[in-house]
Amino acid sequence: MSSSVQVVVIGAGPGGYAAAFLAADLGMQVAIVEKEANPGGVCLYRGCIPSKAFLHAAKIISEARHAKNFGIEYNTPHIDIDKLRDWKKSVVAKLTGGLGALARARKIKYFQGEASFLNSNTLKIKKADGSQEELTFEKAILATGSRPSMIPGIPQSPHIWDSTAALNLETIPENLLVVGGGYIGMELGTAYRELGSKVSVVEMMSGLLPGADRDLADVLNKRVKNLFTKVMLETKVAKMEAVADGVAVTFTDKEGKEFKENYNKVLVSIGRRPNSENLGLENTKVKLTPRGFVEVDDQRRTTDPNIYAIGDIAGDPMLAHKATHEGRVAAEAIAGHKVAFGPQAIPAVVFTDPEIAWCGLTELDAAKAGLDVTVAKFPWGASGRALTLDRQDGLTKLIIDTKTQRVLGVGIAGVHAGEMIAEGVLAIEMGALAKDLEMTIHPHPTLSETSMGAAEIFFGTSTDIFKPRK
Amino acid sequence: MAEFKLPELGENITQGTITKILVKSGDTVKKGQNVLELETDKAVLEVPCNVEGVVGQIMVKSGAVIKVGQPVFTLSGSSTAAPSAAPEKPAAQAKPEASSLQPAQPSTAAAASGGVTEMILPTLGENIEKGTVTKIYVKAGDRLEKGKNILEVETDKAVLDVPSSAEGVVKEVLIKPGTVVKVGQPVFKIEGTVSIAKPASGISAAKEAPAGTKTTTPPPPVVQPPVSQAAVPAATQPAVHKDVPAAPSVRLLARELGIDIGQVPGSGPGGRISAADVKAYCKTLNTARSAGGGAVAAAQPLPDFTKWGATRREAMSNVRRKTAEHLSIAWNTIPHVTQFDKVDITELEKLRKSISGSNKKISVTPFIIKVVAQALKKFPQFNASVDMSTQEIIFKDYVNIGVAVDTDRGLLVPVLKNVDKMSILQISDELTALAERARLRKTTIEEMQGGCFTISNLGGIGGTYFTPIVNWPEAAILGLSRGATEQVYTDGHFVPRLMLPLSLSYDHRLVDGADGARFIRWVVEAIQQPFLLELNK
Repeated sequence: MSSSVQVVVIGAGPGGYAAAFLAADLGMQVAIVEKEANPGGVCLYRGCIPSKAFLHAAKIISEARHAKNFGIEYNTPHIDIDKLRDWKKSVVAKLTGGLGALARARKIKYFQGEASFLNSNTLKIKKADGSQEELTFEKAILATGSRPSMIPGIPQSPHIWDSTAALNLETIPENLLVVGGGYIGMELGTAYRELGSKVSVVEMMSGLLPGADRDLADVLNKRVKNLFTKVMLETKVAKMEAVADGVAVTFTDKEGKEFKENYNKVLVSIGRRPNSENLGLENTKVKLTPRGFVEVDDQRRTTDPNIYAIGDIAGDPMLAHKATHEGRVAAEAIAGHKVAFGPQAIPAVVFTDPEIAWCGLTELDAAKAGLDVTVAKFPWGASGRALTLDRQDGLTKLIIDTKTQRVLGVGIAGVHAGEMIAEGVLAIEMGALAKDLEMTIHPHPTLSETSMGAAEIFFGTSTDIFKPRK
Repeated sequence: MAEFKLPELGENITQGTITKILVKSGDTVKKGQNVLELETDKAVLEVPCNVEGVVGQIMVKSGAVIKVGQPVFTLSGSSTAAPSAAPEKPAAQAKPEASSLQPAQPSTAAAASGGVTEMILPTLGENIEKGTVTKIYVKAGDRLEKGKNILEVETDKAVLDVPSSAEGVVKEVLIKPGTVVKVGQPVFKIEGTVSIAKPASGISAAKEAPAGTKTTTPPPPVVQPPVSQAAVPAATQPAVHKDVPAAPSVRLLARELGIDIGQVPGSGPGGRISAADVKAYCKTLNTARSAGGGAVAAAQPLPDFTKWGATRREAMSNVRRKTAEHLSIAWNTIPHVTQFDKVDITELEKLRKSISGSNKKISVTPFIIKVVAQALKKFPQFNASVDMSTQEIIFKDYVNIGVAVDTDRGLLVPVLKNVDKMSILQISDELTALAERARLRKTTIEEMQGGCFTISNLGGIGGTYFTPIVNWPEAAILGLSRGATEQVYTDGHFVPRLMLPLSLSYDHRLVDGADGARFIRWVVEAIQQPFLLELNK
């Protein structure tokens, strides 16, 4: 059997389905090849969405405990893990089912299965029902995403989790080790802690959340110091052995000293790698980078003129919202629009409690590039709203070009930072000056006022903080 | 009191000359009522009113040139569309813009904009931090205008004139000739300022040294073709630029226009690039390109003609100015070649005379238009335009032919649309009507646009050949001169034939010499053997 379409999208994560839907809306004949029965990808099935449902549950527990500070005391919560898992699954099912309906409404041909290229115009599809089909296409969009990296040489064990396994919520382990202090490890680690696990973290670098500015990460550090059993920095995992009911882990610290601990479960969250294998790319002109990403140009076109690539497979940062935007660019590029992928800022959000979010230039970037910037910080201790939430552990900062006074970067640590960062992204995309933020009236009392406050600090005229003028 | 201001008239029309004022003081005007007749460089227009009320004072005169947005007359008792209406609320209505428009009322202006400020020495150029004041062109009490020179400063590189970066009245001069001033140091106290020279902000730096540009001439901007990857043929790659302050919508506009956003100078705060900046940059590129790198004649200084006798100066009419601009662009952009030929119109003349009645005169032009329309289909490169910015040729699937018309106010070229779908008689009627409207200045702007090819018939005046200039962005123009009876040697005899000289100028970028000759030969043969038109269909 064989058929043909104008555009085929391989992989229906947030990049793939956005590309497919827009291509269809632009009047093209579109097909999707996807392993799952409905679109969604890692984000909906095994990433953003289930983890946020899980984190929401954890936050309720933590807030209930926190309420003791202002005179409201709850009993220790009873946690029904089965019910929690079912609720998480229902959220995922609702979203993915909705996407399936949207695909059908757009008359997109949906192949459940796996695709590989026979050449630059033909795919072989191994369908979920076991049959095979060839599909010819004019343009293909590769959106196969990424998967968790594993430490090479560790044993196969049900007690060693990747993020997917951790999100299955099979059990609440008594002891959990998180390997890797990046955003996935921190989100899942804090969530399991709130459900009752004792959690330790091991990280090779000198701080948690490498890549984020230290002052932002420190807001989170302060909190997790009290939550986590142990935070082992500049420490490596030397060995893991399966033992009865758990894993024995051997560590090497920065002095080279070895030590050993036992855990019920180990979550390995050391990063993700692109799914660029077994796609038959060798039958096309697509080229890969040494790290396995697909080489693309500004329109997300690969070195094969018929094939585009978007999302995690097209390079860092591996974030759903970046993939979605790329997907739309690729679809429009195929339609002949003069578009390009050229964001000034891609927001990054760590959904821990407190949340950490940033966009544009970081202080680390500015220092590396030797740029003349001024950093204006507004501590949340001066925010009325933060005090009413009893959460003054927060910080809003602007990274400003000293000469032009343009806002080049925004960083926020604190509750709801993820919701607040969008203002920073818009400011950077619009080329806003610090003055623009200062003169934009923000609603009172909200946490959003802190970005206006940081701009006031830049000018040395903050209402809420007295700082003698230089 | 409200005002009626000259509304937007159409694309690229910024001003016009008033030919008639259709209302007088005391008249009641309604929305949609025509109040002015205006001659622009493209057409004579009637301007409808967009407000209602009783006309007060008329602020313009017939013959005056007015700009879009300029007040035309005041209006009372109005229910206007403009939000600034709300008549007779004296105190609250003291608009700040109004005070800045009125000359020399410093005290009230100062009150409106808030007192005395300091004007600082703006950035003078790269790596120039200070200079010695050699001359001060203004004194206390003088009114500053933006851009007008205020100081002469000697730096270690050059003597520079420093233009004002602010507007207002000088209260105090803080420096003397001989003073060494640093960039950012206050030089005057000014009052009533609409200053952009706020202390020590980076804004003046972003404006990049107005004085410094005097000493160096920036190279003309170069159009860089987009870099295409070898593996991706025919891909036009819109460039992505980090760290350029422009909103996503502005970036999109630049990509659509094929402009590298990194090259566009931003006029906004912090060097922010607006959509208008992108368009302005596009315009400079186009001008630079049409100038072809060579100097434009207008830029050359003129000698003093009065040395040799009396002269007088007259303002160019709008039509003359537009003609001069347009033909300069055409001449500078297009490498011209002119191909001559003669066509035997003896038989055509017989036919033409036989169908021309006493009340209906048909000229030879409609016949030629019809033949040319067919020729444009046969030779598509003659119905095309060059887009050098994308390195593409734009082929047109429609056939509109412009006809040069000599009017008392100059050369006009109304366009006959879709002539390929019209009969010769229809073309004749349409042409007569259009030419008549052009002479009466009644053609609309639409009727003057959209041509693919132009025909210029000087046969009524005389002459043999001439070299017409292609009406850019078209690809070619056909000039007709006066037909004359000549001895033509045919079949061993000299016979008298009526021969019409043709002059075909074309854009050599699009059309090769051989094709130029083929085109004119095809036209000649089709006129001599009209059946060819049908044979080739």
